[in-house]
Amino acid sequence: MRIRGGKQLTAGGAVAVAAVALAACSSSPSTTTPAAGGTTSAPATSSTATSAAVSGTLNGAGSSFQNTYQESAIQAFKSVQSGMTVNYNSVGSGTGRTDLASNVVQFAGSDSPIPSTETASFKGKTVLYFPVVIGPITISYNLTGVSSLKLDASVLAQIFSGKITNWSNSAIKSLNPGVNLPSEAITPAVRSDSSGTTQNFALFLQTAAPSDWSLGDSSTVKWPSNARAGAQNTGVAQIVKSTPGAIGYVDYADAKASNLTAASIENKAGNFVAPSTTAASASAAGVTVASNLTFHAVWGSGAQAYPITYQSWVLVYEMQPNANDVAMLKAYIGYLIGDGQSLLPSLGYAPLPSNIDSMAKAQLNQITS
Amino acid sequence: MAVTAQAPGGPQNIDLREPPSWRRTKNRLMTVLMVLAFVITIVPLGFVLVTVIAKGASVISWQFLTSGIPPNVLPANVGGMGPAIVGTLEITALATVISVPLGVLGAIYINEYGGKGILARIVRFMSDVMTGVPSIIMGLFIFTLWTLHFQYSGLGGALALACLMLPIIIRSSEEMLKLVPDALREGSYALGASKARVTVTVVLPAAIGGIVSGALLAVARAAGETAPLLFTIGIVTSVNSNVFSGATTSLPNQIFQNATQPYTGAQARGWGAALTLVVIAFIFMITARLVTARFAKYSS
Amino acid sequence: MSVETRADSAIPAESAHPLKHSRPLGDRLFAALALAAGLLVLVILVLIAVSTSQQASSWFSAEGLKIFSDNWNPGANDYGVLAFIYGTAITAVIAVVIAVPVSIGIALLLTEVVPRRRSAPIVYVVDLLAVVPSVVWGLWGILVFAPWAQHIYNSIASGVNGIWVLGFLFGGQNISGASFFTAGLILAFMITPIVTSLSREVIATTPSIDKQGAYALGATRWEMIRGVVWPHSQGGVVGAILLGVGRAMGETIAAALVIGSSPTITSHLFAPGYDMPAGIANLFGESSGIFRASLMGMGVLLFVITIVINVLARGVVERSARRSRGA
Repeated sequence: MRIRGGKQLTAGGAVAVAAVALAACSSSPSTTTPAAGGTTSAPATSSTATSAAVSGTLNGAGSSFQNTYQESAIQAFKSVQSGMTVNYNSVGSGTGRTDLASNVVQFAGSDSPIPSTETASFKGKTVLYFPVVIGPITISYNLTGVSSLKLDASVLAQIFSGKITNWSNSAIKSLNPGVNLPSEAITPAVRSDSSGTTQNFALFLQTAAPSDWSLGDSSTVKWPSNARAGAQNTGVAQIVKSTPGAIGYVDYADAKASNLTAASIENKAGNFVAPSTTAASASAAGVTVASNLTFHAVWGSGAQAYPITYQSWVLVYEMQPNANDVAMLKAYIGYLIGDGQSLLPSLGYAPLPSNIDSMAKAQLNQITS
Repeated sequence: MAVTAQAPGGPQNIDLREPPSWRRTKNRLMTVLMVLAFVITIVPLGFVLVTVIAKGASVISWQFLTSGIPPNVLPANVGGMGPAIVGTLEITALATVISVPLGVLGAIYINEYGGKGILARIVRFMSDVMTGVPSIIMGLFIFTLWTLHFQYSGLGGALALACLMLPIIIRSSEEMLKLVPDALREGSYALGASKARVTVTVVLPAAIGGIVSGALLAVARAAGETAPLLFTIGIVTSVNSNVFSGATTSLPNQIFQNATQPYTGAQARGWGAALTLVVIAFIFMITARLVTARFAKYSS
Repeated sequence: MSVETRADSAIPAESAHPLKHSRPLGDRLFAALALAAGLLVLVILVLIAVSTSQQASSWFSAEGLKIFSDNWNPGANDYGVLAFIYGTAITAVIAVVIAVPVSIGIALLLTEVVPRRRSAPIVYVVDLLAVVPSVVWGLWGILVFAPWAQHIYNSIASGVNGIWVLGFLFGGQNISGASFFTAGLILAFMITPIVTSLSREVIATTPSIDKQGAYALGATRWEMIRGVVWPHSQGGVVGAILLGVGRAMGETIAAALVIGSSPTITSHLFAPGYDMPAGIANLFGESSGIFRASLMGMGVLLFVITIVINVLARGVVERSARRSRGA
């Protein structure tokens, strides 16, 4: 008598898997999707980096802020370089950087430059920063009957430190003459998980209202006790949506998708600007950019700049193990900073301002093997 | 003793075995409570299944089951979960191939070779204990030991799932082996067969129905696990048929990700994936029951 | 079924005595293989303990005993995980309080009330409950249940605010659909199958003769259960409960989606909270350095706690099984 058990299961399982795999592979994963819901797939014209056909698999991981862009870009990129497969795992900037340092991936998405505590893990190898997206952080709120609201950094800092706790506070009222503000408790909606959104929002508060903000500018903040925390931008959006009197910081794409109302924020030039992709690019255009392309897009100068804006980079090693990796990275990153930028507005991101974009394109040539 | 001669103001024919009304009431009340307990479990189960079927069925189509995974922003009728389905099936199959032979061998050790020895008792005890280790710990463990050195792969995920399945299979197989009557073993020994031969040609086939059934239940459990795969397999949007290298994705991971998306298309695809996953797990469970009913020679 | 032996049987031709000590190579190889497979479990457990502790070591050395403080503020390099431990304990308690009466009720239903032949539908329902994957519970929990529950929680909270114990537990300002209570409730659904099946096993071993004796004395079914079944099975049922606790503590994904993601220590069960496995799953992505080490450390703590509970549970079950066998 032969043993059937485990082997039969294996055989059966293998046959089933083979059958499904064959079915799935033969009906080619349909990637030519009809443009619906306002998103466009970029035409495969003049790719800036290279026009030669490249093939291979490129793996990236990191920032979840970039994820929506990466997903659409990966899909559209298939018509630019059909021989390449790109994967992006939205695990968070921290893991993205760790993965890059351990060579688990070839590029990382990060909302912040490599912190000093992590530089050692890169073992002295040069890492290049390619900014790929700019994004406004909205201040979304839930107040019935209040369709427009003006806020400045000082008031925001006090709200999110728990110093201003009611909507009828005089500081808010003085910014909004003529608006009927109810005497309702303010519930700040914040992030419970560590994120670049928190970090850049806190950086904005620290830069623009240093005397009112003392909670630092790291990716997690010790929020006041009246704050409600949610996971991811969607968690914060959910809190704002379901809690009257709530006010929270949500990135533009998620705020738009959740139909939230956002406040206009006073910028460096003294104007109250509503969040939009053009206003965000304007803020990024008005900041100093370091030679390695790191910068902070918050509190940019410019009359129509939206002050709470942040950015995300793609990180790669300058030295690659072989020429094919160089070609793949140049092709994909070239797409991200080139033709792919046209995808951004409909996704809720702001494209790179032209000065930063040209610096990034020039830096592409530094990737070598 | 509760035999009363006359029921309070009752008729002439008294059943002396009938307890007084308050004890009877209490008895009935308790029975009602027990039935209520059962009903309480049906309610959430019903809600979940009805929701999953209702929301998932509208998304499921042949295109859904075979297309690549689209960006989250795209609406529900675009793309599908093909790579996730392939990934789940492949990773679970590989995990089964790794853990079932090892698990059955382990059970054979405990039951046939170890006997009453201290090592066998320790192994059995520790297998029990290991069934309670949280699945995320397995994920962290494989991430540390494997993924950081060998990058994302279906194999890494399969190893994490195998760690999860191994103790379950050991314990269920051991239960089945215990049920095989000793008379069979003794008869074989009497005919001069060695221990290995007895185990492999007599005991194992006798218990095989129950072992397969137990393995199928473990597979059903593993197919639905997310945490071990969170940090070990990465993500893809098109099918990666090579389970040994390269990132891949799985249905539970996709569901987990889509549950936190604001885009209705992504949420709808999440429900579709949930329905697919529930159906897969259900098929395994039904198969396990069928195998037990038809092939298990000895059952408890 | 027949036992067959071939000409090239296990006994080597040259050995005349069938009870000779040396076993053929194939036999010994097989025995060694089985032993190795058995030992694999121990090896894996040890490896888990060692590798995760090593990854967590920078956290242990940086924080020392402060790891048990309530101060969780990674931005300021404070990694006290008490809030996560609290959440793990509270959700497990809620889960057990809800699941245990239900599970024991079903177990009794299956063993004492419903005749064997008709018990299949009930068993199927319990099996179905077990087969629903954790992530599907979480998906349903966060997208369907939590928004609906929030209204109910709000009504309850505004009703009981101020009333002594009820207000303490169910009151408060911070009401969220995703909260300790929701997580505990969903965990209860998930641990019911295992507690039910283990309780059923234990209850089924009650000696029939004792049960018949009780009936003979005129006991109603409930009195028989209380007087005979319960004293016999209570050890095993306690063990089953402990196993349910262990399982609830380790359940990751469902909790990660519905617990509210807010590390706070509060008595209000409708407030959002956090527990250890959910913390690890949600926070791992953005973490690095000591932050990541602290999450690994939470993993170590979780590992130790669940091992201890499982050891206790198995010990209790075995001891009561031994006692009943001897009785």
